[in-house]
Amino acid sequence: MEIVKLALRNLARQKKRTFLLGSAIAFGILIVTIINGFAGAFVVNVTENFANLTAGHIFVEGVEKSASGRDIDIIRDDRALIEASEEAGIPAKYVTKRSGFQGTLIYEGRTAQLGITGVDFAHETFLPERLVFKSGSIEGMGDGQGIIISEPIAKRLGVEAGDRMLVQLKTYTGQQNVGEFAVAGITYDAGIFGNMSGYANKAYVNELLSLEPEDYQTLGLYLPSLAGLDGYGAKFYDAVKAKAQVFDKSSNEDSNPVRAMMKQAKTESWVGIKYRVFTLNDMLSQVQQIVSVLETSSLVILIVLFVIIMVGITNTFRIIMYERIREIGTMRSIGMQRGEVRNLFLYEALFLAVGGAIAGMLLSFLVMAGLSLINFGLDSPLFIILKNGHLTFKVEPIRAIANFLIVSLLTIVAAFFPARNAARLDPAVALRTVK
Amino acid sequence: MKHKIFRVALALAAAALAPPSFAAPDFIAILKAVDDMGDFGKQDYSSVYTIVSEKPGENPSTTQIRLFRRDAQDQFLILIQKPEKQKGQGYLKIDDNVWFYDPESGNFSHSTIKENIQNTKAKNSDMKRYTLAEDYDVTSSAEGKLGAFDVWILDLKAKNNEVSYQRIRLTIRKDKPLPLKEEDFSVSNKLMRTMLYLPTYINVGSKTIPAKIKIVDELNKGEQSLMTISDVVVGKLPDSTFTKAFLERAQ
Repeated sequence: MEIVKLALRNLARQKKRTFLLGSAIAFGILIVTIINGFAGAFVVNVTENFANLTAGHIFVEGVEKSASGRDIDIIRDDRALIEASEEAGIPAKYVTKRSGFQGTLIYEGRTAQLGITGVDFAHETFLPERLVFKSGSIEGMGDGQGIIISEPIAKRLGVEAGDRMLVQLKTYTGQQNVGEFAVAGITYDAGIFGNMSGYANKAYVNELLSLEPEDYQTLGLYLPSLAGLDGYGAKFYDAVKAKAQVFDKSSNEDSNPVRAMMKQAKTESWVGIKYRVFTLNDMLSQVQQIVSVLETSSLVILIVLFVIIMVGITNTFRIIMYERIREIGTMRSIGMQRGEVRNLFLYEALFLAVGGAIAGMLLSFLVMAGLSLINFGLDSPLFIILKNGHLTFKVEPIRAIANFLIVSLLTIVAAFFPARNAARLDPAVALRTVK
Repeated sequence: MKHKIFRVALALAAAALAPPSFAAPDFIAILKAVDDMGDFGKQDYSSVYTIVSEKPGENPSTTQIRLFRRDAQDQFLILIQKPEKQKGQGYLKIDDNVWFYDPESGNFSHSTIKENIQNTKAKNSDMKRYTLAEDYDVTSSAEGKLGAFDVWILDLKAKNNEVSYQRIRLTIRKDKPLPLKEEDFSVSNKLMRTMLYLPTYINVGSKTIPAKIKIVDELNKGEQSLMTISDVVVGKLPDSTFTKAFLERAQ
């Protein structure tokens, strides 16, 4: 206990030095915690934003072989899918049924490629709430041929709300078709996704695709939150498999399960409709890879920073030992054991690490809170990693504890060798030493 | 007696109202003849297509391809020779699969017969043999004149929903089974493109093929491509021509 008090007193004696060493440790913890916090929220934000864009967390796509063996994306009778959803106990907040195509919009000699999603606006009431209109409004979709496009697409075509334009596309069987859209609304640029997608009425999209009015191409189940997504996905997959043909999700054809199922469709033959059942996490397996890279990078940064800091700590403790050499001699002369001298230095290092780490974490929370206040806007190109236009951070407690332990351990290791040297000093030699 | 007079009068009236008795041409046979004119059967076919494409406000661009075709097996290989940037790229059709090869990446990717060749108005399907009689029904016909030629104007409706165009209006010379004009319509019945087969021909044995075809994009006004066919060779090609390895080596 006396040694602990002595260690704290020694740290307090050299306030400036203690502050500088603690700051170095705090800075390392600050950087690493911010990276961890960003990585933690990154996957949640990307997944949630994708869920909004794709209108679901769990998806089903139907594939049918045409007479010539071509793959056709279609869901005709979804009773088995809806039943499977109920049997699997999926707490779907919304069930979305969408069709879509990749088409070329043509207006007065200008063209733009766009993925156009057919939406049933009467059911997908959450979509209009998410769209931020620059001009026009959702009311424009009352026109059956209405379309909502983003600002960059509108600029490229030179169209304004109310203008009518042609669209060239292929039907669900691959035939050439031409339709006409009326620009109902122009939304703010939503990054690369705004450039890629527009929304139209499903009834008209189906007509252009030559689908029957009740047919569609993608069923989306929108969950209340991401919690339990993989579990619900697995239950739903099994429930659909019990009622209909499904593609093998665990195939080894590709590391991404969705691509693997697409590859199976190219090589297999079947009769009727076969379903691809997948979750957002399956779609976004690359996002998980990005997060893994971020987390690995943060660990590497932590280690590199602390190797540098360790060198500083080792040198500082050597100096401390040299400065206190007569003091060590005195303590040893009055009966302090070698182990106690070593522990004195190690306690100092530990308190330095604990203090620095706590300060670093507190600072990182302040910085993250400050960054979270910045409003990048809903039209930010970064929107996919933002939550309602704001950066968010999520630090996993286990990761914070791990960082804390790593820092403490490295600091103690850095101080260990000077501490051991101090403990090995001969008291008589130490007392004779003149600084 | 009264009834007899009535019956004769009825027969005369019917005869007077009946259409003149000449045999209507067998339009399916005409379509078949058009198909046969470009079908080299067991012999393979190769030629060079020079496609000059025009877009308003842009300089004309030239794409040159060499086409290798084996009609007996419905295979073709397209090798892009110009422009320099795309040289070595190509398309290979085997069975129902169309592959696109990019020498820069060394990868093959799936394409379809309905895709345009590079930035031209020509489609992969324009390079394969005609199968009009197989794919279309004749829904109406009319006689007309196009330039110096007496023509049949046939309205064709697709028999299935997998051909590129749901409806085609085909103008065919009466004297020979050669098309002069093809108008392609969308499913929504909008004219999408017009192909004009200019009356300059290349004779290869018993076959006659047009030497110049102009493709006009009816949706994007002012955009068109002129295809000039040359270096036609008919004869057996090595089986290795219709392989992915050929495209890789052709680089």
